[in-house]
Amino acid sequence: MSSESSAAELQIFDFVSDGRSVRLRLDEGLYPLDAIRGAAYLFLDRCFVRLERLEDRLVDVTLKSKGPTDDEALGALAGEFCNALLDQAVRVQVAASSGKIREYIMARAFFSAPAQSSIDQLLAELDAEELAADDLEIQVPWEQGGA
Amino acid sequence: MIQSRSLQLRPHRVAADQLGVFRWGRLGDRVVLTNDAGEWQLLSAADFATFLAGELGPEHPAFEALRSRGFLRQDLDAEDLARKLRRKRRYLGAGPHLIVLITTLRCNQSCAYCHASRTDMHRTDTDMSLETAKLAVDHAMRSPSPYLCFEYQGGEPTVNMEVIKFCVEYSREKNRHEKKTLDHSVVTNMTYMTEENARWLVDNGVLVCTSLDGPPEVHDHNRAWSGKGAAAFETVTRWMDWFNQAYIDKGLDPALWHVDALMTTTRRSMENGKAIVDLYVQRGIRNVHLRPLNPFGFATKTWRAIGYSMEEWLAFYEEMLDYIIELNLQGVQIMEGTAATFLKKLLTPDDPNFVDIRSPVGSGTGQICYGFDGSIFPSDEGRMVHGMGDPIFRLGHLRDTSFEEATRHPTVRAIATASLLDALPQCESCWNAPFCGVRPLHNYMMSGDLFGQRPLTPKCKQHMSMVSMLLERLANDTDGRVEAIFRRWTMDRPRSPDANA
Repeated sequence: MSSESSAAELQIFDFVSDGRSVRLRLDEGLYPLDAIRGAAYLFLDRCFVRLERLEDRLVDVTLKSKGPTDDEALGALAGEFCNALLDQAVRVQVAASSGKIREYIMARAFFSAPAQSSIDQLLAELDAEELAADDLEIQVPWEQGGA
Repeated sequence: MIQSRSLQLRPHRVAADQLGVFRWGRLGDRVVLTNDAGEWQLLSAADFATFLAGELGPEHPAFEALRSRGFLRQDLDAEDLARKLRRKRRYLGAGPHLIVLITTLRCNQSCAYCHASRTDMHRTDTDMSLETAKLAVDHAMRSPSPYLCFEYQGGEPTVNMEVIKFCVEYSREKNRHEKKTLDHSVVTNMTYMTEENARWLVDNGVLVCTSLDGPPEVHDHNRAWSGKGAAAFETVTRWMDWFNQAYIDKGLDPALWHVDALMTTTRRSMENGKAIVDLYVQRGIRNVHLRPLNPFGFATKTWRAIGYSMEEWLAFYEEMLDYIIELNLQGVQIMEGTAATFLKKLLTPDDPNFVDIRSPVGSGTGQICYGFDGSIFPSDEGRMVHGMGDPIFRLGHLRDTSFEEATRHPTVRAIATASLLDALPQCESCWNAPFCGVRPLHNYMMSGDLFGQRPLTPKCKQHMSMVSMLLERLANDTDGRVEAIFRRWTMDRPRSPDANA
């Protein structure tokens, strides 16, 4: 089972390999199920993946390699999976923290859009702002200037 | 033998309450951050760790960019991000603007990669009738989109020129009341062209796009034609010259009015990449669009002869991209088409609304396709699947299916759902989501599943690799010359649409 010494310190992942696959036992208290699923999904091209809940909050992940199955390859597979899991856990954490803001932005973008005339006005303003300076002569047609 | 082992890994320290809304991914030794508004920022791996920990302060050179682009919670301007997002997704709800009409399936060429889209020249039963053409124009002009591009395809569409002429004239007549902006474009192999038809296309402002796969040894190899004593390459280039001169004679700006060309990459093309680009430069074509084959519908033997893996194609693409950039640095004016599409997403506040690379994909919501017999499809790809004997994407028939019924069809909804990146596994957290698009019909043909599985999808690898290449070249651009070239590729100078309406 995985354990965590502290939030930013080394985390230990135990895994078992049987010459064909590797198996990790993960605690949902440390790694949300969304993060486990997210990491597992990334390995679909290289492995057959099996997720199994053994008991409450305990998930077994089995990665059966579609490629090399020597010790080194299976060890690398386990390592890459654990890295992906940590990465996915951060994504879940950031998404949870910023989810309300994202929902607000989406709502403002799509459910409280101003009238079309205002959009046109806005676009014209943005164009004017963004295209005013043209030090690189981006707006000069090819046939009228150098590359 | 069963072995137990342990790994020790150090997780990121995360100050989530100090971070904005963003996605990220690794590009070599850098990390790219992106958000829904299409903003992006590159950081070193060490700086990214500092950023995640909430310890990247105002003294850091990237701080202001991270703050102003909404990657930090500090001063986060949600209204500004919403405005940018709305602009990026302006196509939502706009309705189909690309109207593909299959005037006939008959074709006088037998191209190596054309597999479900053609019949032999005697098959007049695969011509669209005028009655069907009228129904198609009436149907298409129900689209709420203020801009429509009628694209005539086949087979070889000019084999049924009568239908093209009718659609152009009838749509313009209807448009006196509809007041839309209309474009008409014919995608022709040029080998069936006559001076009478060519003159009509020029006089009526119909845009012309052809296939030019490369120099004779490539083009004639890919596009078999038993023509009237001439090889396909010679005929195509002769007609390209004819059209381009006709535009000049008509007083039209040759920079805007010229024959556009598309190429399809086969194994033979990959052996002649630079020669293909050089040919486009030599002929004054400013946009070479390097496209991989759609790897479905081929007999195994054919695929073995002309096909390749996505990895092989990406290696070819990268070499060609660098060659094209090098030519630009020497003052030659040529761009790569798909790179330009991605660069518009990366470097401008807009989205080019390219129907194949957007979220959701344009099938049924950005484009619609009418088969020769009046069948309605969400896209030309759907029509091709139908041609291969699978009717799953047929939305109905012009006789009995209204525009509203077709574009709100459960199949269209399913395709939209299967291509909404915000809701797809892996895509929803992928750094490339603001710039990418998935192809449910492609997934269906590859795996029998509209959704597919991203790690097994060549398009995922293709799009992510292509955008990575562009970002890497921008990151390594110490003097700004590459960025200037890339920004030039994003500039559109539209022809006045419907000039002859």
